[in-house]
Amino acid sequence: MGVPRFIFKVAHQDAWISILVTLVWMLLVIQVMLMILKQYKNADLYGIQVDLFGKWIGKLLGTVYIFFYFVSLVTVYLNYIEVVHVFLYPTLSPFVMAILLAFLALYTVMGGFHVAVGISFIFFFLPQWLWFLLYDPISRMDFDHFLPMFDASFTQIMKGAKVTIYSVLGFEILFFIYPYLSNKKKVRRSAFWAVSFSSFVVMTCTVISIGYFSPHDLSDVNWSVITLYKSVSFSFIERLDYIVVVEWMMIVLPNLVLLLWVISQGLKRIYNVPPKYSLYIISAICVLLASIIKKYDTIHFITNFIAKFGFWLVFIYPFFLLLFVWIKKLLFRKESSQNA
Amino acid sequence: MRRRKVKQGFFPTTINQLKETLEKQFENNSDLMFSSFTHQGKKLAVFYIPYQIESNKLEKLLKTLLSEEKEWTSETLLNEIPLGSGKKTSDLQQILTKLIVGEIFIYIENENEAISYQEESREKRNLEKAETESLVLGPKIAFTESLETNLNIIRWEIRSPDLVLEELTIGKDLPCKVRMIYLKTVANDQDIQTMRQRLQDLDVDMVEDAAVLAQYIEDSETNLFPQLETTELPDRFIFEINEGKVGVLVENSPTGILAPATIFSFLKSTEDLYMRWQTGSFLRLLRMIAIFLSIIITPLYVAIVSFHYGIIPTQLLVSIGKSRAAVPFPPLVEALLLEFLIELLREAGARLPTKVGQTMGIVGGIVIGQAAVDAGLTSNILIIVVAMSALASFTAPSYLLGTTVRLVRFPLILLSGFLGFYGLMFGLCLLIIHMLRTKSLGHSYLIPVYPLNISDFLGVFIRLPIRYNYKRMESYHPKKLFRFPKKEALGKKHMKK
Repeated sequence: MGVPRFIFKVAHQDAWISILVTLVWMLLVIQVMLMILKQYKNADLYGIQVDLFGKWIGKLLGTVYIFFYFVSLVTVYLNYIEVVHVFLYPTLSPFVMAILLAFLALYTVMGGFHVAVGISFIFFFLPQWLWFLLYDPISRMDFDHFLPMFDASFTQIMKGAKVTIYSVLGFEILFFIYPYLSNKKKVRRSAFWAVSFSSFVVMTCTVISIGYFSPHDLSDVNWSVITLYKSVSFSFIERLDYIVVVEWMMIVLPNLVLLLWVISQGLKRIYNVPPKYSLYIISAICVLLASIIKKYDTIHFITNFIAKFGFWLVFIYPFFLLLFVWIKKLLFRKESSQNA
Repeated sequence: MRRRKVKQGFFPTTINQLKETLEKQFENNSDLMFSSFTHQGKKLAVFYIPYQIESNKLEKLLKTLLSEEKEWTSETLLNEIPLGSGKKTSDLQQILTKLIVGEIFIYIENENEAISYQEESREKRNLEKAETESLVLGPKIAFTESLETNLNIIRWEIRSPDLVLEELTIGKDLPCKVRMIYLKTVANDQDIQTMRQRLQDLDVDMVEDAAVLAQYIEDSETNLFPQLETTELPDRFIFEINEGKVGVLVENSPTGILAPATIFSFLKSTEDLYMRWQTGSFLRLLRMIAIFLSIIITPLYVAIVSFHYGIIPTQLLVSIGKSRAAVPFPPLVEALLLEFLIELLREAGARLPTKVGQTMGIVGGIVIGQAAVDAGLTSNILIIVVAMSALASFTAPSYLLGTTVRLVRFPLILLSGFLGFYGLMFGLCLLIIHMLRTKSLGHSYLIPVYPLNISDFLGVFIRLPIRYNYKRMESYHPKKLFRFPKKEALGKKHMKK
């Protein structure tokens, strides 16, 4: 929701190029991920790492992933609650908001994987009508804001791409749901589409934000996307930003659900913690953290941290992993040929 | 209760002994008719329960019995009296149960078994117009309490040897006949198997009604939504059987059960099919929107008026403010009060006789409504809102779903009263997740939206023109997917000229 501002801060009017760069990178990463996954018939990343690096290091890396997901989960809570706080209820306690969100996520995950997928599926389509409301900001865009084009330097664009990462994180979940997918041939196409769509969303929001706000404003406005909706109004309804903020729950919820599911799966696979307990405990900690952390700076810091962490873990690490998989395969083949 | 053991070899016995035994069993019941007489030197006994049998059939039976100038034995009785239902029974327990269901017994002294003839008379009501699911167009009859009548209706509508009417008996103490109905060339085997399994696994003392049976065999009892379709309309029942669903009819119940169901099948009406497709689709969509509105509109009012009045344009806000100026309660209390009033009216209307019901509608709706506004208890706008949501919930073709909608509204009103839009959204999300967790006969409750099946999708929301309606629901994997060939249908060639 607040991405356009951050990308703009770094890459200025060429922010959209940064997003394109991210997209290309993501497609590459997905290709790598699928190459890794194809080496194993039906394993998720937790299993693959143990297989590659042995029990201890594999489990340690698995724990790193769990930690990463846990912090991501907390940031999702924090960011959404922050937005609701600012736009809707300055007085409502974050604890109540967090506990309601946690309840929804828990209730979904307890229903099993297929409910979690169902939620992601249905809640993907339900908020799509929000696009139509953007006609108003689009009609007020000033295309001069994009000039001069290709002004940003290479480093600026790469930095912008790095900033984009937090908003498009989440596709690495493929590492974990892969064993559950029945039609493995279609995975690549669907993943590519999904990633392209999410980039498209970020791109559209950024482009509209850049066109709609003056450069000076855009650097100042938090959550520029919601602010965009402020200008939309009908004869029977004003202030659509209220509705957008609330509708955003549908976008946030699948994130919460999938993250929660991945964490509980990881804990089960690595430490043998039954999901029954881990789900409750994780949710409780999240609610607690979400209600304690209130300062904007802290939230910003954590989000930044997870973005950096995500950059290394999601955008860089798979390449190394693929390397290891290949090396191992090579060694294994040598061994087996020697044995023969 | 200790099960009474029938002593082995009760027969042969004397007539007097038999009479004694039977009268002991029917102690304090003055029902049993036991008459003994001598014919051609042999002692005979005829016994039955008078009001359970057809008396003129009994007369005929006795006439043939007595007019013949010969000695009767069990064998000759069975062979020579031209009544198809003659059966031998030698077990006392069986004799007792058969007596109750209207069989006439004849016993000839010193024979090894009693002969029984099934001549039951059973009172039943005539076919009547459907009351709870009324239609404007289409067949008017409804199921009755008689299983035979219902089976008769269905057999006449589906005149195909593929129609299977499996008989099962449920209930340990008070057994009850249940028929599982499906088209064996269409319905999915797995669905049939699941349904049969669930019915057979039931271990209850009695089944009160089909609606109760539906609750016994549905997937989850804690779920808010009805998971099996129930209907009193034979045409609806038959259409769904033809679509490949599995139906259940229960003795003594005017309700048929259909499975699997989805949330959308509760919003369908057979009338959509009788209308032309444009109007049919319009009405179906209208109903869907109505149900959604019915759930959401009062909570929305409460949320907006208590928290988010910024969302309303100024002019509207002024009129709302004016109408609420005299109301001393917060919107939440106001809405709950009025919703409660409407629920009262509805329940009272359902319990009262029809004639009084109309008066009550006028008294309740107009008088109380107007008085409540005048007294400053509620605002005009809220009355419109609540009346609209009540009206909208009446559009559900299924009464069961309508009641669920009524129920769901209250927690949503509370949530929006306390937390505004956030609470409302929470409630709606919860409702959707709840629906996703719902199963009907093992199938998802949101088919074909999730899991998505594009070819079924349109047919659910729109009543397709007949020639595009050549397919059954793909999601349920019926054995025969096509109702008629697609190509010919598209060319309208299925119509013979």
